[in-house]
Amino acid sequence: MKVASRNLRLIRRTEISRETSIMISVLGVFMAFAVAGVLFLLVGVNPIAAYGAILDSFTNPILLGNTIQRASPLLFAALGLTVVFRLNFWNVGAEGQIVMGGIAATGIVTLHLVSGAIPDLLVLPTMFLASFFLGALYALVPALLKAKLQVNEILSTLMLNYIAILLGNYLVFGPWLDPAAHGFPNSRIFPPEAVIPAIPVIGGSTGFLVGIVAAVGIYFLMKRTTFGFELKVTGDSTKAAKYAGMSYTRIVSLAMAISGGLAGLGGLVLVSGIIGRMKEDFSAGYGYTSIIVAWLAGLNPLATVVAAFLFGGLLVSGTTLQVRLGLSSSTTNIFEALILIFVLASEFLKKYRVVMGGGL
Amino acid sequence: MEASPRAISPSGDLLVELRGISKQFPEVLAVDGVDFQLRRGEIHALLGENGAGKTTLMNVLYGIVRPSAGTVFVKGKAVSIHSPRDAIHLGIGMVHQHLKVVEPHTVVENVILGLKEPRFLLDVKEASKKVRELADRYGLPVDPSSRIWQLSIGERQRVEILKVLYRDAEILIMDEPTSVLTPQETRELFASLLKMKEEGKGIVFITHKMREVFELSDRVTVMRKGKVVSTLDTKGAEEHQLARLMVGRDVLFDIQRAEVTPGRELLAVKEVSSLNDKGLQALKDVSISVCGGEILGIAGVAGNGQKELTEVVAGLRHATSGHVLVDGVDVTNRSPKFIFEQKLAFVPEERMGLGAVPSLSVADNLALKSYRYAPYSHRSVIDESFVEGKAQGLVKEFDITTPAVTTPARFLSGGNLQKVVLARELSGMAASEPPKVVVASYPTRGLDVGATEFVQRNLLKYRERGSAVLIVSEELDELLMISDRIVVFFGGRVMGDIPRAKFDVEGIGLMMAGRTAAEARTE
Repeated sequence: MKVASRNLRLIRRTEISRETSIMISVLGVFMAFAVAGVLFLLVGVNPIAAYGAILDSFTNPILLGNTIQRASPLLFAALGLTVVFRLNFWNVGAEGQIVMGGIAATGIVTLHLVSGAIPDLLVLPTMFLASFFLGALYALVPALLKAKLQVNEILSTLMLNYIAILLGNYLVFGPWLDPAAHGFPNSRIFPPEAVIPAIPVIGGSTGFLVGIVAAVGIYFLMKRTTFGFELKVTGDSTKAAKYAGMSYTRIVSLAMAISGGLAGLGGLVLVSGIIGRMKEDFSAGYGYTSIIVAWLAGLNPLATVVAAFLFGGLLVSGTTLQVRLGLSSSTTNIFEALILIFVLASEFLKKYRVVMGGGL
Repeated sequence: MEASPRAISPSGDLLVELRGISKQFPEVLAVDGVDFQLRRGEIHALLGENGAGKTTLMNVLYGIVRPSAGTVFVKGKAVSIHSPRDAIHLGIGMVHQHLKVVEPHTVVENVILGLKEPRFLLDVKEASKKVRELADRYGLPVDPSSRIWQLSIGERQRVEILKVLYRDAEILIMDEPTSVLTPQETRELFASLLKMKEEGKGIVFITHKMREVFELSDRVTVMRKGKVVSTLDTKGAEEHQLARLMVGRDVLFDIQRAEVTPGRELLAVKEVSSLNDKGLQALKDVSISVCGGEILGIAGVAGNGQKELTEVVAGLRHATSGHVLVDGVDVTNRSPKFIFEQKLAFVPEERMGLGAVPSLSVADNLALKSYRYAPYSHRSVIDESFVEGKAQGLVKEFDITTPAVTTPARFLSGGNLQKVVLARELSGMAASEPPKVVVASYPTRGLDVGATEFVQRNLLKYRERGSAVLIVSEELDELLMISDRIVVFFGGRVMGDIPRAKFDVEGIGLMMAGRTAAEARTE
């Protein structure tokens, strides 16, 4: 009993104020930076210089444009995830859905370039629809497998990522290979009418602005609509949802269609607004990073905008750190992983309070 | 908290003495400075409403819960009980309300489970012999070699008691043991307990049923809100006095039942069969009929198909054959939404997580089924001010105690949560007319006296307003009080259908144990 009184104990929180919740998240990010500082020291880099390089991602006008660029796909994918995660449906397939969105966009561009069937003005809107549609369709597969056959969605969405990535690679190595690319696995370069315009002055794809509009839309969907209500109920208790007359198949399909469709738009922004063509392995982990973004935002669509922006900056910092301070890419990967670990730890601390001693 | 081992209780003849026991849980002070004594050779009833702290107090004695303050003396010695193993070592045994036996194993295996003694080799024969001796001695007939899943709930409880006796316990804690038994099984259990008492064992009998206190106990300790209100000799105590101590106010034991002429048949269940969650037959050709203005009570030991029946009717379970009709409309295997739209209200057995969503606000829980209809929502957009206004009205009408309608349901007490479910179900789809059918599964289970009375009065009120009410309950007294007819379930079948004029506890009890109506009459 004497031992017990010195132990750390965890007490389940019954309620948590918004302020505390935000504070814990912010503190988590700070801790991640502190630990990363030690890491920078170990590899012989001045932490202050490293922090400065990271800060530059948000203050340096050129880098800021890059930050917005890279935040855009994250924002779309993470927004979709806030919808399905509310449902306790663990979609880890945003990566594959992004790739499918990219494939759809590139398919339209290729068709446009090869056949000229689509008028210039309609190219972007068609790409937009195609990306959303294919992403949604791809996400419907695990949704229906889960609803009808109780297939674990973590496995199915993960496996579908590999299929999408390999399909994308097949296309850029094979049928969609740019004849002018000298054998590099690239699609044709997107013509101007197929490129999402940049934001004037600041730079960065206007896709981010569309993403902000989407965030407001998702916020409304979750807060005010009957579908948002169904999400909340089903996420808390599928049994209660059934009792209340809600159809799990319908809800999970709709949620995944939205999630996959938004991720598909992320893929569109990626190929059309950032890379300008489709390349081998072009998604490069955006889909996985968006999972962190969604959690960092506490599954709040509006906070997702901020979280995506911060993570976009972090991705840019990775490059800056490599170029400016000679850090290896694995060091910057560790830095990102640290952020994830601390975000997860702060999620835990939002549920439990740690109490020192105090006996029983 | 650690008592000096030399501290000796002045009354060393006591089996157990608890002094100043408190238990603080994160949210509540569950037990508050309680003193309690158990003498050798006595049955001591621990009476109180749900949440009064009875079980927590006994969990302290059994080592499941560590007290925040206070001292436990066993046979005069201050002890520190860290686990049930310590408790068993001190001769304390507990039979929980929810039985903890391992279903695929045999009786004797369950009895010796967790014992230190046979380290590697099990001498099952020897153990079986001892089990049989104990069973004979205390009148707890059960075959040591049968497997638990083959046994009835009553028999499983005997296994639990044998487990305790096998470990030579002198102190036996029984936590609401009769809630799963038929009246006959209850009588047999009482006989066994009295035999143990004669042999000098001490028994703590946790209950909230007044009748059992008088039938069985020598002394009674009444608890309310974590505190001991009083300890009395049962002889000389009066029912009304105990009820007042338990509830803290006077209690009406009878509620008014108005005369109602039954209307047309609103619920018809015709030869319905269904499976339980394990895929075994749970209902076999069950037929029942309830008319408007009538309450049909379903009696039976839990687990005899009552739950499955209510679920089939509400559309939550698939009927393998047969038909369910709500006011003539065939609703067999239709969606819960369709059945709700036929004006069927369903108060499920499981409140939290089925009847109500814990993280949702009271207002949202009240709108759980009607959110998709106008005026709750228009074109898929929810009218929040309507939802809140409606909730405020229902909170007032159904006397729900909650800080606000925006409070999450999980902060509500059991009674208030049940009022939320009841308010939503009875108020229906924003319409002013009452539901055609009300199905209520164990609607008063775990509620305090006040809330129980409230629920019963509301069921009667809707009966008067013309609803057909189907109520499943394990409290026979409750069914006898409010039902117009009682149907007895056993093994997924209807054993008998008894009109109010012919209610008799004995007959119903026999049917609950599996006799047919004809057999019950001749016995």
